[in-house]
Amino acid sequence: MIAAFLQSSLIRLIPVGMVVIALQRTILVDVKVAGVVIQIVLALVAAAGASGGSEKGAVAGFVLGLMYDLVEGTPLGSSAIAFMLGGVVAGLLALIAADPQWWLKAIFVGLGAMTGEAALPVVRLFIGEENPWPADMAKVVGVVAAAAAVMSPLLVPLSRWCLKIRGPNWVAPAEQPTV
Amino acid sequence: MAIYTVGRRQVIVALLLTAALLLTLDLRGNPILDTIRDGFSRAMAPVETATEVVARPMERAWNSYSNYDDLERENELLREVIAQQAGNDAAARASVIDYQLLLALNNLPSLSGIETEKAQVVGVASNNIDQVVEINKGSDQGIAVGMPVVNQAGLIGKITQVNATTAKVMLVTDPRYAVAVEILAGTGEGLGDLPVTENTTPSGATPEELDAIEEAAGTTSTTAPDADGAVTSTTTPLDVFGDEFPLAETDDQTPTTTTTIAPDDEDESVDAPPVTDPDGEPVPTTTLPVTTTTEPIQLEKEFGTLGGRGAGRPPQISFIQNAPSLAVLEVGDLVETAGGGDSLAPPNIPVGRVINRADRPGVAGPLLEIELTADLDSLNFVRVVLFRPLSEVEQ
Repeated sequence: MIAAFLQSSLIRLIPVGMVVIALQRTILVDVKVAGVVIQIVLALVAAAGASGGSEKGAVAGFVLGLMYDLVEGTPLGSSAIAFMLGGVVAGLLALIAADPQWWLKAIFVGLGAMTGEAALPVVRLFIGEENPWPADMAKVVGVVAAAAAVMSPLLVPLSRWCLKIRGPNWVAPAEQPTV
Repeated sequence: MAIYTVGRRQVIVALLLTAALLLTLDLRGNPILDTIRDGFSRAMAPVETATEVVARPMERAWNSYSNYDDLERENELLREVIAQQAGNDAAARASVIDYQLLLALNNLPSLSGIETEKAQVVGVASNNIDQVVEINKGSDQGIAVGMPVVNQAGLIGKITQVNATTAKVMLVTDPRYAVAVEILAGTGEGLGDLPVTENTTPSGATPEELDAIEEAAGTTSTTAPDADGAVTSTTTPLDVFGDEFPLAETDDQTPTTTTTIAPDDEDESVDAPPVTDPDGEPVPTTTLPVTTTTEPIQLEKEFGTLGGRGAGRPPQISFIQNAPSLAVLEVGDLVETAGGGDSLAPPNIPVGRVINRADRPGVAGPLLEIELTADLDSLNFVRVVLFRPLSEVEQ
């Protein structure tokens, strides 16, 4: 079991996640953009989905979401579900292109982060919280998505390293025998 | 390249179900999960400290770039406002002391009799939904879930989660927050409509509000000349619990000086010629005390439930009986905690003022929106009221 853990992607994802969550809880709560807290953890999850597919996005969303809930004091699993949705959506969008350009990945990351941020109050609503919507939901979702897209050139390589995602290995087609 | 397969879908569904299971367990209360949460928070503490050390210069650079002009202008205006308020401070202190003496004389419960624990805000919620802050005191200092938290201005929230050395405070603006309050009808006459505070940088004041403060400071600022016989007293800020409160963690705290000028009558009495009898001997004058009778203010109270509505929305009071014969509620009325056997907060903690009233048809009663007296955007030092409701104390 320990060997499996050491060989899995969690051995990298958890410490990196701790640092990213620490960044989220220290500098990003003070440096707001248009009064909105940028969600770098959610952006990392969406980057994992955009670079590794929906499964990797779901795993990253589950792990980082649980860590976020543990340290933030929010109901355990609520952020994990929302982050998973963000990672899965980014992964599904990545199916559009075989080897997307960086700017296309940035769009996928932004849309994934937008889904995750929009899903957070929905999950809270399902667990019984009254009126969990921020006053300016559209602005919050828009700023979070835009910030995630801007950060994606940094977060996509980081997520690829964390989750041990290898790039596409294109092989030239074998020559057809001449008839 | 990302590939979507049936096997991957099963993994996603399994993770979703696991998250839902954990969510259910946590909502029902699970000591194992609480222990894990506490342990993870402890593990994260050094990481956060190290990250803060590294990130602080960048944060300061950003703040210097984005907030410097506003901060400088606001600093000047605040100095003016402090100079204005210094004159009112001594009178306010005397009033608070009189009030507490009266309560003690009549064996009425007083806020000053409740122990408090000072704490500092060390973190805020890092998402855009929760209105929660973290303080650096916990169960080791006697803090328990449910205790109210105040600052100099009034109520700011309640404790919702406690670790050994830290605690989470749910702010009044959180949608999950609710507390019984009383509205003092008639205390807001002549105030008119109050502006709703909007979030700005760096301290929550909008440019319009800054302009208004600047104008007020320019028109009402008084400079008292030094005169013989002036009484100088040194005061420090007084919070709602009648105790001195630290301003900041600096060694060179400059005290506020209040100067009271001798009344003008004194000069006139000196200049007036002495009264003499026909023989030229001075006649002793007798000054009779003048007693002024003031009608006691009869305040009508109305009770309701205050609930938060999230960031950017003013808290709202509902469940108010619509009985105009008892109390006419209007904009500007003061709002305080109501207390009561089951209430988590003691009575008479200032909460805010009514800024809007919305009448509803039928017997639903009006809805009141309030502006909090405490500025929740710039919390630093707070005080946890070590108060337990009467219903729990009896158990």
